[in-house]
Amino acid sequence: MSSDNKPTIVYKKKEVRTAWLMMAPALIVLAVIAVYPILRTFYLSFHEMNLKRPQSGFPFIGFQNYMKIFSDARAGTDILFTVKFTVTTVLLEMVIGFAAALIMNRAFKGRGIVRAAILVPWAIPTSVSAMMWKFIYNDQYGMFNDILYRFGIIKAYKAWLSTASGSFMALVITDVWKTAPYMALLILAGLQMIPGELYESAKLDGANAIQRFWNVTLPLAKRSLLVALLFRTLDAFRVFDLISVLTGGANGTESIAVYSYKQLMTFLDFGYGSALAVLIFLIVFAISVVYMIFLKGDLVSE
Amino acid sequence: MKTSKRLLALSASAMMAMSAMVPSAVMAESVAEVSPEGRTVLTFAFDEGVGTPTEEAIALFNASQDEIFVQSYHLPQDANNLHDDFVNKMVAQDTSVDIMALDVVYIAEFASAGWVADLSDLYSEEELGAYLDGTVAGATVDGKLYAAPWFTNASALFYRTDVLEDLGITEVPTTFQGWIDVYEKLDKESGIDYAFCFQAAQSEALVCNWVEFLASYGASVLDEEGKPAVNSAEAVAATQAMADFIGKYAPEGTTTYAETESQQVFQEGKALTCRTWSGTWNTFNDEAQSDVAGKVGMTVLPVNAEGDTAHSCLGGLDLVVNTYIDDAQKEAAKTFIKWMTSEEEEKNFCLSSSQPPTVKAVYQDAEVLEAIPFYTDFYSIIENGKGRPSSANYAELSDAIQRNVHAALTGETAVEDALNALYDEASALQ
Repeated sequence: MSSDNKPTIVYKKKEVRTAWLMMAPALIVLAVIAVYPILRTFYLSFHEMNLKRPQSGFPFIGFQNYMKIFSDARAGTDILFTVKFTVTTVLLEMVIGFAAALIMNRAFKGRGIVRAAILVPWAIPTSVSAMMWKFIYNDQYGMFNDILYRFGIIKAYKAWLSTASGSFMALVITDVWKTAPYMALLILAGLQMIPGELYESAKLDGANAIQRFWNVTLPLAKRSLLVALLFRTLDAFRVFDLISVLTGGANGTESIAVYSYKQLMTFLDFGYGSALAVLIFLIVFAISVVYMIFLKGDLVSE
Repeated sequence: MKTSKRLLALSASAMMAMSAMVPSAVMAESVAEVSPEGRTVLTFAFDEGVGTPTEEAIALFNASQDEIFVQSYHLPQDANNLHDDFVNKMVAQDTSVDIMALDVVYIAEFASAGWVADLSDLYSEEELGAYLDGTVAGATVDGKLYAAPWFTNASALFYRTDVLEDLGITEVPTTFQGWIDVYEKLDKESGIDYAFCFQAAQSEALVCNWVEFLASYGASVLDEEGKPAVNSAEAVAATQAMADFIGKYAPEGTTTYAETESQQVFQEGKALTCRTWSGTWNTFNDEAQSDVAGKVGMTVLPVNAEGDTAHSCLGGLDLVVNTYIDDAQKEAAKTFIKWMTSEEEEKNFCLSSSQPPTVKAVYQDAEVLEAIPFYTDFYSIIENGKGRPSSANYAELSDAIQRNVHAALTGETAVEDALNALYDEASALQ
């Protein structure tokens, strides 16, 4: 590295200033579109604000909106559902995504096409794919029924979205179908960075395929796996459009984000709705911190 | 490196192919491109459900004079969606739309939030008398008219005339049991799997269906003093009947159906009857869309006991004016609204859309009766129609009904428990 003589310090200072200057437009945009709305939501959550009752004004009410969350059974149920949904989908996506990444990492004919094709579900907007799956699960002409019926798994067509278990299953299948490819791609990026020599020397040492996976692939792909898990966990916890279109929150499938949206946009209770939104923000923030600790520990141990 | 480039190119082309595959219906909002010279431009937002006839009406209006030019703003056909979109605009004091076609149930909410202009001076006392009383009442909040009744809507029971003829039944049943008796006479070859189809997805459609079931059993959401009566013995019986029908006389998927899905079952000839909005008459009798075209009759909703009166749920759209636009725009908007709700245009619109007009005289018009013969009977359905409970907290009340009644219908919760829970929630909203 460079020695600590004066011209370098001046130059460094200048460089720092230029850096800030060049980052300024991005920082201003971030402040306007990300920081301001978050702060505003925090601010609203400490006030009573219902757009349908302009006459009640906009009084500061401290933590009352937050206290309400604890006495609101619906919010509790929704949080539990969201956790269940997040854990189930992210676990399945990880397993399927990892398997798909391992396959795509091998050299075979048509690998490029497979890699592109697997991205198709991810490329479709969620609300569109949710509409599509709604047709698939239909009890009169749905493909899901047709396939299961032909294979003799069900004796008669079923209304999958009419029961709690059916709706949950439908949501999980649709979400995994859509986002496992994303997981696969992120993990694939990690796998491609593992040098081939490591596998060769492991082979020479007599390690079998399973041992090579546990001792070479997994430790070296861990970081990209954690990053992929972080993204997916955050997204899954904030799930909104999929549920809104596919079940509308019926049969106990209301996520906390759907409820927050209802309070905000349907009931127009901006105070309570903002408190729920802040709660989602805090939980998501906590999840990121936990992942960050894992990631950091991973870096240090190297 | 090479591989990743190829991967990128491939995935990009895949994405392009996908976006080309997305049907145009998904592109929810579209504003027509126009270049009117020197005219006041108004934007009129309405849902796709009445898209084509409304376009025709707008074209007619634009051709009729040279002061105002109306452009259209299409929104998807979903009452909840529409509500949220309009709320978004009003909260932001958006002036991009001048006139909105708003579902009748939200008039009270929009008026009490101060988002829609007072239209009390739009009609004279005499002019107002020409409209159906129920529609004017629905547009009035605290004695002031905040909306112009554009078209109303009532549900009716559609049934298969050919099936009744084949069985030699001349008298159309009026009770649930009457229809079940007909259904039980049918054999497998008739292709009819269900006696009823209706809508019970957790949505506004469920609220309408449930309110009608209550009425057919002599129950109501609010009692005469305006207090919740949702857990009365009659209400429990009505909800229980509704739950029992699903899976037995109605498709198991009824709890996932909105209008489109249930109408599909009837159009395919799989159901003896279908409860839906009267405007569906055209769709059912359109050979391109329906396998039962020409074999469809329309009658009043069934009741529980012989001699009771059925009360259809009143729906429909009112025209409201965005309160944030300037006065010149407001005056132009009023001119357009008055034209849209004139007797002549109400008749035109009725003929092109088969949506029931709000002007009483149109129901007696010879030309209308020739095109839509059922209006002779339908007028009494409309007159007996009941609005959904009017409340400034309608969104919350509707949501509470949707969740609790849906849970009762799917069997997640026992009917009585669900209605007791609903009673508590409805009481808290008072």
